[in-house]
Amino acid sequence: MIGPVLLIALPFLGAFLLPLVYQHYLRAAYWAAPMVVITNLIIALALWFGVSMVGPQSLLMGGFAAPLGITYYIDHLALLFIILLLAGSLSLWLGAWHRRLQEEMLTLLLIGSGTGMALSGDLFNIYVFFEIMAVASYGLTASRRHCGQSFAASLRFLIVGALGSSMLLLGIALIYALTGTLNLSHLAVLAPELLHGTTGLAAFAFMLIGLGVKAELFAVNTWVPEVYAHAPIRVIALLGGFVSKLAMLIIVRLLLLLYAGSDAYLILLGFGALGLLTAEFAALHATDLRRILAYSSMGQLGLIAIAFSIPGEAGLIAGVALAAHHAVAKPALFLLIENWGGHWQKLSGAVKVAPLASVIFLIMTLSLIGVPPLPGFWAKLLLFQAGLTAGGIFNWAIVLIVLTTLIETAYWLRINRQLFQSENNQPPVNIPPDRELWPAALLLVLLLLISLNIGTISDELTQMAYHANDTETYIKHTLPMWQTGE
Amino acid sequence: MTTLDFLFLLSLSTVLILLLFGRRPMAGWFAVAAYAMQLIMLLAIWKGFSGDISVPSSFHFMIQGHQLHWGMNGLGWFFALITIIAAMLTSAFSAGEWGQQQKNMHLQHVAMAVNVFAMLLLLSSMDFLSLFIGWELVSWAAYLMMTQRGGKAADAAFRYLLYAMAGAMMLLTAIVLINVRIHSFQFEAFWDALPVLPSALLWTISLLFVGAFGIKMALLPFHLWQATAYSETPGAGAAFLNAIAARMGLFALLIVLLKPIGMERLQILAMPLFAFIDAQSLLLWLAALTAIIPTFIALQQTDARLLLTWHGIGQGGFMLLGLAVGTPMGIAGGLLHILNYASYQAALFLAVTAVIYRAGTADLDRLGGLITRMPWTFIVLLMGIIGLAGLPPMNGFVSKWLIYKSLMDANMPMLLVAASISTLGTILSVYKLIHNIFLGQLRKAHFTLKEAPLSMIAPMLILVLIAFVTGAMPGLALTIVDAAQAALGYDLLPHHLGGITWPSGSLNMLWVTGILFYGIGIGAVIFLFLGNKRHVTHQWDNYAGGHFLSAKTPYQYSHNFYPGLMRIIGGWFGQQVLNIEMGLRHFAKLLSEVFYDSYQVVYASLYLVAALVVTLALIVKG
Repeated sequence: MIGPVLLIALPFLGAFLLPLVYQHYLRAAYWAAPMVVITNLIIALALWFGVSMVGPQSLLMGGFAAPLGITYYIDHLALLFIILLLAGSLSLWLGAWHRRLQEEMLTLLLIGSGTGMALSGDLFNIYVFFEIMAVASYGLTASRRHCGQSFAASLRFLIVGALGSSMLLLGIALIYALTGTLNLSHLAVLAPELLHGTTGLAAFAFMLIGLGVKAELFAVNTWVPEVYAHAPIRVIALLGGFVSKLAMLIIVRLLLLLYAGSDAYLILLGFGALGLLTAEFAALHATDLRRILAYSSMGQLGLIAIAFSIPGEAGLIAGVALAAHHAVAKPALFLLIENWGGHWQKLSGAVKVAPLASVIFLIMTLSLIGVPPLPGFWAKLLLFQAGLTAGGIFNWAIVLIVLTTLIETAYWLRINRQLFQSENNQPPVNIPPDRELWPAALLLVLLLLISLNIGTISDELTQMAYHANDTETYIKHTLPMWQTGE
Repeated sequence: MTTLDFLFLLSLSTVLILLLFGRRPMAGWFAVAAYAMQLIMLLAIWKGFSGDISVPSSFHFMIQGHQLHWGMNGLGWFFALITIIAAMLTSAFSAGEWGQQQKNMHLQHVAMAVNVFAMLLLLSSMDFLSLFIGWELVSWAAYLMMTQRGGKAADAAFRYLLYAMAGAMMLLTAIVLINVRIHSFQFEAFWDALPVLPSALLWTISLLFVGAFGIKMALLPFHLWQATAYSETPGAGAAFLNAIAARMGLFALLIVLLKPIGMERLQILAMPLFAFIDAQSLLLWLAALTAIIPTFIALQQTDARLLLTWHGIGQGGFMLLGLAVGTPMGIAGGLLHILNYASYQAALFLAVTAVIYRAGTADLDRLGGLITRMPWTFIVLLMGIIGLAGLPPMNGFVSKWLIYKSLMDANMPMLLVAASISTLGTILSVYKLIHNIFLGQLRKAHFTLKEAPLSMIAPMLILVLIAFVTGAMPGLALTIVDAAQAALGYDLLPHHLGGITWPSGSLNMLWVTGILFYGIGIGAVIFLFLGNKRHVTHQWDNYAGGHFLSAKTPYQYSHNFYPGLMRIIGGWFGQQVLNIEMGLRHFAKLLSEVFYDSYQVVYASLYLVAALVVTLALIVKG
């Protein structure tokens, strides 16, 4: 089975060969990177259908059996996030007006490492991919030329990110010290005995903080508003829309495989709830449109974290639905505001000069608030369902979500009012025609398609969550010599 | 395709056509025709349902194993009838001269059509999920209608939307709580489970429902948003909203909680800690307070529109009062009051809009004497306020009579007193309304005013005629109420064309009206034929209170109306609820500032170090 290997290797290969191609065949070079992504997308879709037919599959890297070798595990959950990442970055290529080698290389690196991280079944392997991803994203955020603030922001991002990475490493080291292995399925077998104590949970907290830098979790997400305010729009869309979800995916994998049945979910719930509360309120106070989007994005990831922290399949379904929805809605919003930066009040009467963009903004924000029949509502319904079924402390989480939904409504609607109603007959704001409209419109179409097929999609989600929650199959596939229960 | 599908399609295509061609000059008349067609389609549905059997829609879908489906029964039909007639007549009002004067008539047409569509969808919901979808659509559609004028209207609408979202979230929580318990979103499953639901859960669900639906109908203490939001809406739309929009809350409350099975449960559901209060009494007293307090707030208003909308809130309380009694007569009274109120309130609001159209203001301190200039509008307003005050021969009397009667029969004398206090406030303030606009002396600025054009007068007259006819012959309206009552599952109230025959006292409006007109006829004969010859003077050549009045000292006691009463009750308007709302807003602002400031990049390292120390300490301890 070569598919998964290609999925990871192709982007890396592309990234390293791209400078050569650019030097010698400029015309072909423009198409090289998108072609790699398209190829990957085709492979990923093929794998998706493969998994649909024969169930999750695994792959031993280099032929060494686990726990010594590195295993890759291919299931719908990982593939969904990979496809989102690929399709998302592809849509970001649409309408791009200047191609730049540096950005393309880094994007390919980001894709390769993200894919690897999603598939990998080895903690240290995950760490390596995570680091590559981190470095690529530092580079990308600084890629806007002649912008001092952008450099400063990405430097701060680098500092927080480096601290976070060391936390992740510390957590992994603790786990290694406790169990003597880093293979996820091996760990899954050993976890109930060795990892569910205080030290094991501390290791989870460290890893959570480390991964949380990318997943925009509370306390280590302070870089987000700063970076989003200055970095190139496409990079933000990529980071906020897709990369953050990949980090979240790893957190979910760890929670499901290593910490199912322990108190680890409370840690995730706490971080998620705090993130949701603080970020949504901060968004209410923020005035810069990019920052508002940044805070809202952090709040949404807090929401996703709450969903994933709910034990059982219901929480998983809700989390995946929320994550996928956010991955569609938020990049579209980011793409719209390329020319809309600055104070939100400057947008007065924007509908007159940019009607399509305003409508996209309206629909996406309504979906984020959770207005039926848009997909955001169904995701929120699943979350309510999961939370209230679990009961206990999650009832309070639902109360918090209700409260923050109100806050969300307040700040989104405030901006929409400005877009659609020009107060005091001010002349409409001067917005240059938007190049980024195409990808955003594409995402809108996608959103509407999802809302039309919501029944089918929710069935798929249920299926996916069932497989993802099935630890035994994971172990059986990736660790054939260790049968569970022995 | 069923008849309901056709109705949905008609309604949806009205929206689309108005969206595309709403700028054309004849769009208003097209809208009227479209609503007329919807009305015909609705009347065609009438034969399709009986009892709680409803006319299904073929549109449905499944999600997560739950079916969402739509269908219309007698209750939905009753509300839909009011909705479509209100939309048709208010559109007719705006189709002529009034609409040409409006800047954004296109949007107003679209908003009205969207509202009608959303309400039809809500009124046909057959399970909790479709109810929620309809509910949200109605909320946002109403927002669309309220916000058009911008400025103050948009602010009021924004406030409304925050309230509405709070309500929607309450509703979502409630239906998910139900689903967690009974694993179904179907109404029937909930009703079946109602008798055995644990008390704590039922309290939670009931409070959430009453909160969610109470926000829409501006039940105390969620009443703050409605008056400004409705009165800032452009005239025709405001009349529509006033007539029916807030009643969607009652509809939803009726179908989820107030069926006989729910009512029985509420009657024995004792309040924790205060066991002598049950859920039904709580609801009744909430309704009674809503009937009283907003009515007296209305009395203080100096803007005609605000006065009317505050009354709307109070009358909503009146309706709930009747419905929550839960006897066939109470339910019939409450339902009938919804219909009656819609007829005269729409007429009243349109009349005030006509006054604004001509005089440019609805400020009760700046009007007066318009009776000589706008006699038809005066007649509409007069008939309307007779209805609003609940006096014969208008229909408001019949429904209020039924509600009083049901309270008496149910042995609830205190609530009867509360209802009477509310009516007293209504009578006082509607007198203020008609006096300050039409009676007294005409202002100089208004000497050249003309009567409103026919396109505006005709719909108002039709509305008050409906109010009069259903007042003299309540049997007509009670037939429709029967269908709604049957759909709810209550026994029907026996009635005939003129009213009801009831053991403890009957009502025959044909007699009441007949005697009233007989009296008026005798008075007219005496006045016209037996008295002295009429001698018409200029209105400023007059006297009042023994003083001669001239052009220099005009008689116009419109400012500071009822000073004596206000001295007594004025101190009670402490605005506590308003203060709570303001406090919440400030608290949110404070929190947002604190949290915003906490997101500084440099803090991240601090947080990390703190987290590290704490976690390591845990490890060492563990």
